[in-house]
Order: sequence, then structure tokens, then C-alpha cells
Amino acid sequence: MIFDGYEAFRAADFAPKACILGSGPAGTTIARKLSAAGIPVVVLEAGSREFSNDSQDFYRGITVGDPYFGLDVARLRFMGGSSNHWAGWCRVLDGLDFAPKAWVPDSGWPIGRADIEPFLPDVRDILDLPAFRPDVPVSDEMRWVQLIKSPAVRFADKFADELDRSRNIAVVLDTYVTELAGDGKRVTGARLWSNGRDAGSLAVDYFIVCTGGLENSRLLLWSNERTNGGVVPNAAALGRYWMEHPTFEGGNAILADYGAFEVDAVNEAFFSPTLSAMERLRILNFGIRLVETPYPGVKRIIADLACVAPDMAEWTSSQLSQNLRCAAQLHVAWEQAPLASNRIELSRTDVDHAGVPRIELHWRKSELERRTLLEGLRLFGATLARKNLGRVRIADWILSGADYPTNQETAGNHHMGGTRMGTDVTTSVVDADCKVHGMDNLYVGGSSVFCTSGQANPTTTITALACRLGEHLGKVIAN
Amino acid sequence: MTILIKTVSRRAIVRALAMLPALPLLRGLPDSDPDEIVEVDGWILKRSDLA
Ligand SMILES: Cc1cc2nc3c(=O)[nH]c(=O)nc-3n(C[C@H](O)[C@H](O)[C@H](O)COP(=O)(O)OP(=O)(O)OC[C@H]3O[C@@H](n4cnc5c(N)ncnc54)[C@H](O)[C@@H]3O)c2cc1C
Repeated sequence: MIFDGYEAFRAADFAPKACILGSGPAGTTIARKLSAAGIPVVVLEAGSREFSNDSQDFYRGITVGDPYFGLDVARLRFMGGSSNHWAGWCRVLDGLDFAPKAWVPDSGWPIGRADIEPFLPDVRDILDLPAFRPDVPVSDEMRWVQLIKSPAVRFADKFADELDRSRNIAVVLDTYVTELAGDGKRVTGARLWSNGRDAGSLAVDYFIVCTGGLENSRLLLWSNERTNGGVVPNAAALGRYWMEHPTFEGGNAILADYGAFEVDAVNEAFFSPTLSAMERLRILNFGIRLVETPYPGVKRIIADLACVAPDMAEWTSSQLSQNLRCAAQLHVAWEQAPLASNRIELSRTDVDHAGVPRIELHWRKSELERRTLLEGLRLFGATLARKNLGRVRIADWILSGADYPTNQETAGNHHMGGTRMGTDVTTSVVDADCKVHGMDNLYVGGSSVFCTSGQANPTTTITALACRLGEHLGKVIAN
Repeated sequence: MTILIKTVSRRAIVRALAMLPALPLLRGLPDSDPDEIVEVDGWILKRSDLA
């Protein structure tokens, strides 16, 4: 069932056992799992069926620190959430991403990749993905990795009919949860704002917050402030350890033979380091994307190479006439160090139309990341040279230690951390089952539970974690 | 002068000019490994590339 507002839902007399906040990939996936377990669930969605400027305005906020996107353009606030404009690039976090690393403070998850692997067949069905393929070693220290460019499932489009027909799921649009109430043990209700006004509150047995990787923290911070810690009793890490995937152009490569690696339909290939390389160099995970360089760019790169290695350049020129696809730009996206200082705070000066403080995002890239970028490119370059697969030139701004360019991709629109998973209540907010520490009936879905970001785009892992949480909750609620 | 530039290949000029700073660094190294990785002007190369 899909209702256009809270009034219509109330009139329908549907008695849900669980309430999911948000209808993006996380919320929709958990709702479908609960429904499959025979559990009646209501999904409260702040936006309506379509994009609107009025709804989007609730997402405005500011960033303090490094330049970042407007918070109202880095996500979407209507049915289906940011899946309405995601690019569909898919990869599960690596096994190594879950492991603690001695050289990365506050790294390590309380679960491993094996805990989400049983859900990957479901994830493939949900996201319309081909088979996941194992990495291919290029050397002991670098690997070719699969990054699937999927058809970018729009969750509202794909699942609207199923949700509408469902007897167990009620999606209620235009219904914004402005705060949760709680007594430090249980959430007792959700305060609602629908059709531009206060719509009372809803009490059910279980609440699952799936409002996205920025909004989850905002809602819980505000709820906690209003209830004096009654919603997240252990709040030391709430809003903290927020992470993105910084993304910049790292340089160029000349390749001996573009056919040496498997490339996708647009001649792109992806590479990451092995755990032993990360350990040796004491760096984070990263992904290098080879992007084919247009012909005029190739000439410039070869002229540049001629300055330092003329024979190499001559050889490359001769290769050019045989194979025009032999130079590439290197785009690098990397794992961010999990830092408590990168955090979501509530604005003290600005509120949205419903009176909820807007987000003040404090976000800075760290020295460890800068080193990851430089050493990662060096590692990739040395690997290609040793194997005679090509030669790499690192961009000047990276070598000289200049500021990050302001005219490049910047980041991935991937919002991770803020309610991270863990066993230590001083550095985490939810446990290994995504249940808020100390609360009996409050769970969190989405990438805000990520302990570390890895280098992979997050939504495949979000969907896997949502399948896992949905199945877990199905059992908990049924008992 | 113009005639001279035309008769000498661009590559030779570039090589002559650009190798100046690199060569003194490399000269005098004991029997260096041609597969050793060197970094020159941002390029990650094998020493043999500089021949
Ligand atoms: C331009 C762009 C490109 C991207 N490309 C990729 C990609 O290629 N690969 C990838 O893996 N990821 C990508 N992402 C990220 C991806 O979109 C997100 O990871 C994913 O949508 C997160 O799902 P979610 O369900 O956790 O949150 P969201 O999709 O943000 O959904 C949250 C939902 O909650 C609703 N909501 C918010 N607050 C409330 C409230 N208080 N009460 C009720 N409802 C509320 C919102 O309206 C929304 O519908 C991209 C993102 C952007 C912006």
C-alpha cells in the first residue's frame, strides 16, 4: 500500500509492528525483508513520489573545512531516496576493509565480509547485477578489481508496484519524522510532520532509521538533544567518524597494451592495492580508475615523456599508430581515515521549515590520505613499470604537496559513518546487528553504520547490510 | 638558426635539453640495475627507460 500522506494512512487502520524511516535502498530493502517474514511494517517517507524544491530544501546545510558539495545536491529527498540519481556503480567492500589495521586508528568492524556474503545473491537480484568476480592479481601488491556499472536501479520505479500491492507494507509519503522520543531503553514514538504541518506521533514496537548517511546522524542528534539522551544513551560517537570517498585526478599512464587488462564497455579498468601493500606502505585502501585519454591528450603525454625518457617515448609513439587506445588518465578515489573530528553537528542558527536544526558538516581530509594518494600512485606506477605494462606520471599538484584542486570530482556523494558499528560505546553507536547500543528497539540501516569506508561505492554493501538486518529483525520481531 | 632547428629533429633537441638535469644524478652510480624504479619529473620509470 502506498499512501500520499499520513492522514490517509491513519484512516486505513493498518497496525504495523515496525516503522522504517526512509524509502531509499536501505529502507525499501528492509521493508521487503520484513514483509517476506510476515511482519506488518510502515515506511515513513519525508518526500513524495517526485522531486520537489520544497522537499529538497529540508536537506540544506553547511560544510566547515574542506570544500564539499551542497548538502541539498548530494542526495535526494523523495520516494526511493538518492537511488533516484545514483550512478549505479557497484562493488562490495573488500574483505580487507573489515579488518582492523594497526596503522589506521579506529579501524576494524565487529563483523567480517563473510557475514554479508550470504546476502549477495539477494543483492544481485535487487540491484540487477551480474555475478561478482574475484580480484585478479597484477602483482603481489596490486590487483585488478571488478567495478560493475549497473543499470542504476531506481528503487521507487522498480518496487513501487510491489509495495503498492503489498498487504504487509504501508509506504506513507510526505511524512517527515522530525524526532524520535525515548526513555534511554526504548524508543516510545516518532513525531511526524506531514503536508506542511505537525501530524502527531506514531508508536510501534520497533524503529529502523534509514534516512541516509547524513540524515541518520541529524535525526538521532536532534532526538537525543530533545530527550536528554533518551534515544542514543551512549552518544560519544554519534555524528562522528563521518567519511566520504575523495576523488581526484592523480596523473596519466601510457600503457603498453590496453588489452593487458580487462576493460569495461567504455575502456575503463580499476585497480586497488593488496593488504600487504597497504601494510608495507602504511596507507589506506584506494581505487585507481584508468580512463582512456583522447588523442590530443595522448600526444601531450608522449611529448612530456620524451623529456625524460626519449626512447620510451619513441616506442610509445610507434605503439600509437598500432593502437590508439594506449594512454589513460588516472582517477583516484580513496578510503578516508575514520576520524572522530569529521562529524555532523546540529546548526545553532539555522532550522528547516519544521523547526529541526540543519546540518553543519565538519569535514577535512587527513595527512594519511594525502600519503595514500601519493604512495598509491607510486605503487601503481612501479607495478606497471616492473611488469612492462606501461608507465605512470603523477600529477604535479600531488608531488609538490599543493592544495587539492577545486575544479575536479572532489568526492563520490558517498555519506558514511556517523552511527558506526562497533563493540566499544565510546567509538561506535550501533552493535554488530545495527541495534543502537543500550536501546531495545532502535536500529539503523544505511552507510552511517560503516566503521571504515573502504574504496568501493557504498550502495552494494548498504543493500547487503539491509538484507542482513531485515532477516535478523524478521526473526527478532516474530519471537 | 632557423635552418639548424629544422634540420635537427625535435626529439634530439628535447633529449639534449631535458636530459641535462637528469644525467648528472644518474652518472657515477655503480652498475645500476636497469629494472630499478626511478622517479623523474613525476614519471615512474625503469632505469633502462632513461638510456
Ligand atoms: C550523484 C550521486 C551518485 C551516486 N552514485 C553512486 C554509485 O554509483 N554507487 C553507489 O554505490 N552509490 C552511489 N551514490 C550513493 C547512493 O545514492 C547512496 O549510497 C544510497 O542512495 C543510500 O541509500 P539509503 O537508503 O541509505 O539513503 P537515501 O537514498 O538517502 O534514502 C533516504 C530516504 O529517507 C528519506 N528521509 C530522509 N529524512 C527523513 C526523515 N526524517 N523522515 C522520513 N524520511 C526521511 C529521504 O527522503 C530518502 O528517500 C550516489 C549518490 C549521488 C548523490
